Amino acid sequence: MSHNEVLYSRRMKTADLIATDSGLLSILQRLGIKLGFGDETVADTCHRYGLSTELFLVICNIFSHRNYEPKIESLDENDIKHITNYLRSSHKYYKEVCFPAIHESIHRLVKELDNVSRRLIDKFYDDYDNEVNIHFSYEENVVFPYIDTLFGKGCKQNNGFRIAKFEENHSNIEEKLNDLKNIIMKYLPEDSAPTLRFQILNDIYALENDLCKHSLIEDKLLIPLVENFENRNE
Amino acid sequence: MSKQEKHKILLIEPSEIVAAGIKEIIGRFTEFEIVNTLANPGYYNPARMEADIIIINPAVIDYNERFDIRSFFGGENEITAIVALTYTSYEESVLRQYDGCIGIYDTAARIAQKLHTAIEESQLAPKNELNELSTRERDILVAVAKGSTNKEIADQFNISVYTVISHRRNISRKLGINSIPGLTVYAIMNKLVDISDFN
Repeated sequence: MSHNEVLYSRRMKTADLIATDSGLLSILQRLGIKLGFGDETVADTCHRYGLSTELFLVICNIFSHRNYEPKIESLDENDIKHITNYLRSSHKYYKEVCFPAIHESIHRLVKELDNVSRRLIDKFYDDYDNEVNIHFSYEENVVFPYIDTLFGKGCKQNNGFRIAKFEENHSNIEEKLNDLKNIIMKYLPEDSAPTLRFQILNDIYALENDLCKHSLIEDKLLIPLVENFENRNE
Repeated sequence: MSKQEKHKILLIEPSEIVAAGIKEIIGRFTEFEIVNTLANPGYYNPARMEADIIIINPAVIDYNERFDIRSFFGGENEITAIVALTYTSYEESVLRQYDGCIGIYDTAARIAQKLHTAIEESQLAPKNELNELSTRERDILVAVAKGSTNKEIADQFNISVYTVISHRRNISRKLGINSIPGLTVYAIMNKLVDISDFN
């Protein structure tokens, strides 16, 4: 991180946070924080929504600062359920906002391509879409429920699942998105849908960046916190 | 490169004794620094490479690849010079691929001098088309697109699996495409394979 970047703090005004990096608007949206927070501090806003301020700051720092390395020291196991809530709402945001927009553009793009390219891109995107859905539903149906049962509800039946298994199954869905980006940018003929391709690329870059931060939250926060919890409760 | 900046060297040498010796000698010169040492080129990862010079024992490269050392390292733009480290004599055609050659009996001063010459040489030599796939890479891309495994490709081309992996890494880096489906799309769109092969 370059020396002139200042990390966010709890006493900062929520509005100033957004003024510093408008990209954080989508984080507010995902967390269900409505606009109209006046001159509240970040801590006040989080408190009003029952969110963990520390976690909120870590997430915002991850999104705004390229080389920020999230550490779990400022968090505790109570934050775990807030993390899974955030990840769930993030999935919802991807599925309802980001992917449909890209899908729609790809649909318009392939109409302008020759037969072979159309089939190739269509198939490539459908396979990718499928993979993403499998990835998300695995997390939503296996991983998050497992974490939920770890905490309370007295139910300890987890069929031998451990969070380490999640790490193993954690396939990299970013790879294909990157490939799609390069195919659209570098390898489709110059004259195919020139304007639309710029728009698609912008959308893919934004999504790619977001997914990368999303995995960072899983790998650097969720997994280590749950692992600590598992080890302590063995 | 500014004058204060050190030349960063990656050393690929299987003998720990020799590697330690080279490291000690290079350490005497302020303009050079060994940033990483590998026993085997299979561990080479261009994405994590900060070196601008590679010193490599040609014995660790497959015989088939010895004649195309630049493409083995992907014609990487940051790498200015590739220098051979030899215990024994090699065919002229092998050594010609390198920007210089250090012998195991060279003195420290001679080694430094050879490194400087190698850097100058490599800056004069015409650079490979950086993103153009070599013929070998194109053949391997076709095999990957058709669904061959690394082992099958190694057998087909009579090279080691390590070498296949290294080629695939270079292909992916040059094209910016990593997944097999992505490489397949590229291969079909560029008419390296026919779409009818897939139905």
